[in-house]
Amino acid sequence: MTPVLTVFLFGLVTAVATGLGALPFALLRGVSPRAVAFANAVAGGLMLGASFGIVAEGTAYGAWQTLAGGLLGVVFILLTQRWLGDPDIAGATTADTRRMALIVIVMTVHSFAEGVAVGVAFGGGPTLALAITLAIAVHNVPEGLAISAVLRPRGATVLACAGWSIFSSLPQPLMAVPAFLFVDAFRAALPYGLGFAAGAMVFMVLEELLPEAYDRASRAPVAVVVSLTLVGMMLFQRML
Amino acid sequence: MDRTLVVLLFASLSAATAVFGAGPFALGQRLPLSRIGFANAVASGMMLGAAYGLLVAGFERGVTAVAGGAVLGILFVAWTHAASGTDELDLNRLEGGSEAYGYQVLLVNSLHSASEGVAIGAAMAVSQPFGIFMALAIAVHNVPEATVLCAILTGRGVRVSSAAGLAVAANVSQVLLAVVAYAIVQAAPGTLPWALGFAMGALVQLVMSELLPESYRQAGPRSIALVTVVAMGIVVLLQSVAA
Repeated sequence: MTPVLTVFLFGLVTAVATGLGALPFALLRGVSPRAVAFANAVAGGLMLGASFGIVAEGTAYGAWQTLAGGLLGVVFILLTQRWLGDPDIAGATTADTRRMALIVIVMTVHSFAEGVAVGVAFGGGPTLALAITLAIAVHNVPEGLAISAVLRPRGATVLACAGWSIFSSLPQPLMAVPAFLFVDAFRAALPYGLGFAAGAMVFMVLEELLPEAYDRASRAPVAVVVSLTLVGMMLFQRML
Repeated sequence: MDRTLVVLLFASLSAATAVFGAGPFALGQRLPLSRIGFANAVASGMMLGAAYGLLVAGFERGVTAVAGGAVLGILFVAWTHAASGTDELDLNRLEGGSEAYGYQVLLVNSLHSASEGVAIGAAMAVSQPFGIFMALAIAVHNVPEATVLCAILTGRGVRVSSAAGLAVAANVSQVLLAVVAYAIVQAAPGTLPWALGFAMGALVQLVMSELLPESYRQAGPRSIALVTVVAMGIVVLLQSVAA
């Protein structure tokens, strides 16, 4: 097998692993406001934890570039929200549909940066390839969890949750190959990309997920769920 | 200078900056609620950035200990909020509210400062520059925090000078805990990752349970999210450049 095919296939495995994140939601029924609030809290904690990890990686390549990328990520979300339309205006998408679209877009865009990180890591040497693939595959599961936590309480089927989770990770194999082939060029772009991913995720959590969670449930339990999930995600990423 | 004295000095400076929070009231101005919301958002972003720094420093020293400490920090803050009956306290009532409201707000601020003290003490034990950075970040954050407190107290008829004094007094636990945390970590170096984790978990929980929900009510989610993410980015950048 050529190295390029290997990188692509390994990348594909990691994308499919994201779909596993939908599984815990097979048991969830009903769409009570509290379910939405705590699902938002879980998604928020997972995304903040993931962002901390991404920022730590990005600043290792360049702190200023990571910050610049982060600001671009915020601007990107603002533009996307504008494109999706104001939910209060009749005829525009509803708040729920809008939020579902936004989480899929954010997580998909964030996978571009992750794909580059994978490719650059593979470029460093093929011996670690399998370990890296496994680590990323496992690391993708909570990202599927975050997407499903937003989609499922708003009426998406488990299959749709799994499908959109896998879709959100498809940029990983697509970006891993060129990054692997042109390691040097992509390494320079990596801190911007990682910063972009982190900025977009943090902003989405702060602007969309948390305010809604506080609206629909008491703030103390919501806060505990966000904080514990964040720590769990960091631990999960570091143990692998 | 003895390093414990440095901890005492910077923690005290950080606590004393609360006096600047009374500035707008001393000038006889009334702050609009949205302005207080932005001050809270700046504080949220700085504390999240500081939590990130504590986490990175902690993970270099022991991953499970940091996670264990973080869980303790989260539960400590959640428990103190619940035990003091302040877990759902609305910090927006500038006028009115029950008799006890002013005291409850003071109590929340004192408990909140204790966790910040642990953050300063643990950061000082990692390295003096990191500790000074943490003390400065918390000093800046203490200003908007004191502004909110002074807005509530002066709204309830407390004189501006007394409100400023109470705002500083609410931070005394910060100075105490900074020195105690530093002393414990010096005496038993194995506790350092636990202390870093504790401070990190406590800061995140404070942001999630107090600062963010408050600020969303004081100003809209979009502007709050923008201010928070920019403040967080700047603190993360400063830490990365300094490291």
